[in-house]
Amino acid sequence: MIPDYRLDLQGEPCPYPAIITLQELPKLYDGEILEVLSDCPQSINNIPIDAKNHGYKVLKVEQQGTTIRYLIQK
Amino acid sequence: MWQDFKQKYLVGFWNPLPAVIALGILSTYYFGLSGSLWAVTGEFTRWGGHILQLLGVDIDKFSYYQIQNMSGTPLSRNDGIMVIGMFLGCLIASLWANNFKIRFPKNKIRIAQGFIGGIISGFGARLAMGCNLANFFTGIPYFSVHTWVFTIFMIIGVYIGTKFISLPCFLPKLKIEKVTSQKPLVATKGRAKFLFLLGCVIFLISIFWMVWLTYSSPIPQNKTFPILGMALGFGISFGFIIARAQICFTSAFRDLFMTGRSQMAKAVFIGMMVSSIGVFSYLMLGNAPKLSWMGPNIVLGGLLFGFGIVLAGGCECGWMYRAIEGQVHYWIVGIGNVIGTMILALSWDYYGETLATSWPKINLLEIFGNYGGLIVNYILLFLAFFLILWTQKRFFNKKISQNIKGI
Repeated sequence: MIPDYRLDLQGEPCPYPAIITLQELPKLYDGEILEVLSDCPQSINNIPIDAKNHGYKVLKVEQQGTTIRYLIQK
Repeated sequence: MWQDFKQKYLVGFWNPLPAVIALGILSTYYFGLSGSLWAVTGEFTRWGGHILQLLGVDIDKFSYYQIQNMSGTPLSRNDGIMVIGMFLGCLIASLWANNFKIRFPKNKIRIAQGFIGGIISGFGARLAMGCNLANFFTGIPYFSVHTWVFTIFMIIGVYIGTKFISLPCFLPKLKIEKVTSQKPLVATKGRAKFLFLLGCVIFLISIFWMVWLTYSSPIPQNKTFPILGMALGFGISFGFIIARAQICFTSAFRDLFMTGRSQMAKAVFIGMMVSSIGVFSYLMLGNAPKLSWMGPNIVLGGLLFGFGIVLAGGCECGWMYRAIEGQVHYWIVGIGNVIGTMILALSWDYYGETLATSWPKINLLEIFGNYGGLIVNYILLFLAFFLILWTQKRFFNKKISQNIKGI
């Protein structure tokens, strides 16, 4: 899966990863994919649910050590 | 089979709702068996007191440390052992999941946020005699009126906090960047294996310690069985669960106001509905109720605490597992918390009586009778649940109308 944009939010504690993700997602065109990287483990409880609640599609959540990758489609 | 089990239960994160329900049930059993609440700030206050003692301060002069009962050490009090157990549980969970890494804050302002927020929430929690645990999650099910008042003012504090931390100076200056591929993530297989084994070693040591404590610790005066070993076991379980499911009480209302997400707030109230009837049964069997003064200290403390936890990014329970996972930000929050409790304890004698100890302790079960009080508590719990649903609906309705205006 090839993303169109990336937000590397590693080093930012929650709730900022979710806030920035929601702030930036509207800038995409419909169908484009955003890759979000976070090392705040708590983001697992907010980014996917917030993205869905705000009308985006969560394509994939992948955990590699302390980094979590979210692929979200507008 | 083992790999599936490991991936699903020890590495992948747990769903918060069943985890919070489990915490509600476990904390109720803990109350039934030990007579103590699942709480942490009281013990952190004592740790602050021990630090002052080490620095040569005569803490007997300060009445707050007498209220807190400083006798013994963290290793001889069941609260102390329980909190140490929580740290162990968090450590085991983060090592097994390969979720341990020293993470420095990227943004310098977070250090100030964590430290100042930690001091404010530590001070506020002790002014109100409890934090998100003893005054909220393991408070409301215990029928003391002050916990409801605390919760209301904490939510107001959280609301003010969310407005404050959304100011432009706090937001990361990050924008989306155009890319053509996923960022490669470094595979950490060897590291994962090492951390997992280390987690196993700490787990085994903890189990041995628990068994040893159970057989060697003295039986408390009013009990027929030793409780230190059990307190350690409960602490490990609490810590393990909050870390595995990333339970964050701070996010319950913060994120309801910020992004309209209600999962955690709903989970917390469902957890309290489950534990309230259990606590009631133990009270009817003769456990002593946990009551506190219903004075202006609750209003002020709730406001400060709510604001402080949002500014810091986590409460007294939330920073524990994050600090153990290696998030430096939360080491700072923890230090701030303990300093906040010291400031409160050292200044308490100037206002403690006016704001707190001269006010009555009010028990719902005394005002409305046993069953009456139980029913009133459940009515309030359901009411709060519906208010959460309403707030979420309102958030998204407002968002839609804003979008239409934007066009």
